[in-house]
Amino acid sequence: MSLSESLLHRDPAPGRGTIGRPPDYLHDEHTLRSWFFSIDHKRIGILYLLSITFFFVLGSIAAGLIRLSLVVPNGAIFSNDTYNKLFTIHGVVMVWFFLIPSIPTTFGNFLLPIMIGARDVAFPRLNRLSWYIFVCGALFTLFTIVVGGVDTGWTFYAPFSTTFSNTWVIPALLGVIVVGFSSILTGLNFVVTLHTMRAPGMTWFRLPIFCWTMYATSLIFLLATPVITIALLLLVLERAFGIGIFDPALGGDPVLFEHLFWFYSHPAVYIMVLPGMGVISEIVPAFAQKKLFGYRFVAYASLGLASLTFFVWGHHMFVNGQSEVASLSFSLLSFAVAVPSAVKVYNWTATIYKGSIKLDTPMLYAMGYIGLFVLGGLTGLFLATLAIDEHVHDTYFVVAHFHYIMVGGTALAFLGGLHYWWPKFTGRMYPEGWGRVSAFFIFIGFNTTFFPQFLLGYLGMPRRYHTYPPEFQLLNILSSAGSLILALGYIFPMIYLVWSLRYGKRAPANPWHARGLEWMTTSPPPKHNFETPPTVDFEPYDYRDRESRV
Amino acid sequence: MRPVLSYVAAALPVDIALEEQFTTKAQQRHAAKFGMWCWLITELLLFGGLLLVATVLRVLHPASVSAAATHLKFWIGASNTVVLICSSLTMSGAINASRLGLQTLMVRCMLATGGLGSVFLLLKAYEYYRDYQEHMVPFLDWRPYALPHDHASRLFINDYFAATGLHGVHLITGIAILLVLTRQASRAGYLSLHQNRIEIFGLYWHFIDLVWIIVFPTLYLVNRG
Ligand code: HEM
Ligand SMILES: [Cu+2]
Repeated sequence: MSLSESLLHRDPAPGRGTIGRPPDYLHDEHTLRSWFFSIDHKRIGILYLLSITFFFVLGSIAAGLIRLSLVVPNGAIFSNDTYNKLFTIHGVVMVWFFLIPSIPTTFGNFLLPIMIGARDVAFPRLNRLSWYIFVCGALFTLFTIVVGGVDTGWTFYAPFSTTFSNTWVIPALLGVIVVGFSSILTGLNFVVTLHTMRAPGMTWFRLPIFCWTMYATSLIFLLATPVITIALLLLVLERAFGIGIFDPALGGDPVLFEHLFWFYSHPAVYIMVLPGMGVISEIVPAFAQKKLFGYRFVAYASLGLASLTFFVWGHHMFVNGQSEVASLSFSLLSFAVAVPSAVKVYNWTATIYKGSIKLDTPMLYAMGYIGLFVLGGLTGLFLATLAIDEHVHDTYFVVAHFHYIMVGGTALAFLGGLHYWWPKFTGRMYPEGWGRVSAFFIFIGFNTTFFPQFLLGYLGMPRRYHTYPPEFQLLNILSSAGSLILALGYIFPMIYLVWSLRYGKRAPANPWHARGLEWMTTSPPPKHNFETPPTVDFEPYDYRDRESRV
Repeated sequence: MRPVLSYVAAALPVDIALEEQFTTKAQQRHAAKFGMWCWLITELLLFGGLLLVATVLRVLHPASVSAAATHLKFWIGASNTVVLICSSLTMSGAINASRLGLQTLMVRCMLATGGLGSVFLLLKAYEYYRDYQEHMVPFLDWRPYALPHDHASRLFINDYFAATGLHGVHLITGIAILLVLTRQASRAGYLSLHQNRIEIFGLYWHFIDLVWIIVFPTLYLVNRG
């Protein structure tokens, strides 16, 4: 039976029955060795999943302590120094060690080869190496931040980081540089895999959108990461030898560091958000049982975002004395970024319209994502407006803006994807009721935490401060209370997902009646992903037969 | 040198061993080459940052940069350019020999490439030594700097050390890989299993050469006026 025939049945069926099937990738071998030295992209994906979850928990604890401290206006709970170290741990861990690797290294590693019908990524050993690089670099940085106490924030701005901060900045920087290489190698692997490993018949325009966003993300990994590497390396040299390139006392230019930093870090925000868009583009058609609206637009929008994103970095520097012409151009270009982002939102909405919608947990996350991403994106436009940014730059308004996108967007997409593909990863179903409850908690908790921060920022509360005028206390308490609800929403899945590994219902190959090659193999997939190498003769998101029946 | 014919007579079968994730050898070759190109693009951007710094300094402080640049050893830099171009030539020789299955010739070309790379490093080390003697190492605290009143010139010299140092690190890595590769490649049967590794390494080597060809004019040449 060819794959297109099987599509006509209610679900694409995996090849054979349970008996006589080769063991799946989880049961193929059991030793620790077979995990830590595995070159199977699925196992590497799981290793990444465990590591970034660890970093997420750590970053969250730091965040909880920050919120705790901000309950009182006079900063009585922690000393100034401790507070600075807390937000540095939070920022560094969350941005560099959770958000940037999150979706690409876990879902990307696990699913990309399966979605294109390949046995593995193009360079499996390199893939394993990049996990080791990641873990070593990240643990090293973590160690230095915790033991040495680094207080520069995740942005490492010169001249504070070079001249004034008397903490363990050099080792922390070195760790972040090392982790950058792991991103580069992952990006390289994905680009080559997508170019060379697609199954027969899997043309570029038959790729699931998730693959397109992985492609766009990988390009950013390749083209932007080296620039931050060199910028951070110059910081290291500056601290170690006083080479002066960012030191105004010698005629150097600290703003040059900001240029180099944001030349990477603005694209990096798309490293964080594009994969989330990919996940949503998979979930929405599956739970609306409808073809993704405007496939090509969404695909091109991903590439559009990946290229435009390289030309807007100056919007982080509107008030740093950059020329007015530059500011105006960066402002204009930032507005242009809104176009491809909006294209995606409209396409998701149009996909849902008149679909047969099922509000299971992944879909709840997807809906939450769309709402929060819109809010985050629109406030991005506020910030890209020169006159408004004068007022709200470096206030809680900015903090709220990027949390709406990075937590409301990326973290929600991550959880949505985790639930959506959990049956595929583990062969077990998660408990649906608990899933919905925790999605609900996260949505409420998130908004209670971060919406007040828009108000605080607009009223003038600066970010990264430990104390604030007493009239801001109410909103701050609200925000801290929200973070408790949010925390519950994160703790539930950690418990019930682990529980489901043992007690969850066994998952069928395609529990969501979804389309795509990953649903045409068993749950969990066999070691080489498919029992027989697939040939693709169908279009992506082919939900027609469902629609005609409904 | 042995007569050319005797090399040709020694031609061996050339091929690669298929790794399990690939379906065809053509696919595997394509992937390997493509991967190396991606890596090189990344590397180019890495150096791009340092070259950008040099350019920014030149725009901000033209006089200081010129003053500092006249202290660079132009002729050593120029000779090194020639040395590296020659090494790229011998590396292409190795690649072509590997395609034809001429293992002995290939190994000799690779050794010559490594030799030329080492010559570059020696010349570079001598150049650094001269810089040291002329007090042109502003980042060393204990060594008084030759142009103490010209702050901005320090920045340029420091960037020069960063850029040439990073290039040097690449070259040292390149030579180390080359030596290991040469050792493996001189074993019997190597060319029938891993011929394309020579090609992939060749790309990297040409890249190191290319970077120098960009670094040299940016640092030594354009600032001499
Ligand atoms: C789509 C994903 C996005 C992410 C992940 C994101 C993330 C961020 C982050 C992390 C910051 C703050 C950095 C810092 O100062 O520490 C930031 C600031 C900013 N974002 Fe976004 N952003 C996104 C989209 C947008 C969009 C679409 C726009 C404009 C159209 C935008 C405009 C801005 C501006 C202007 C700032 C600087 C505000 C200031 O510092 O005064 N962002 N964003
Ligand atoms: Cu930005």
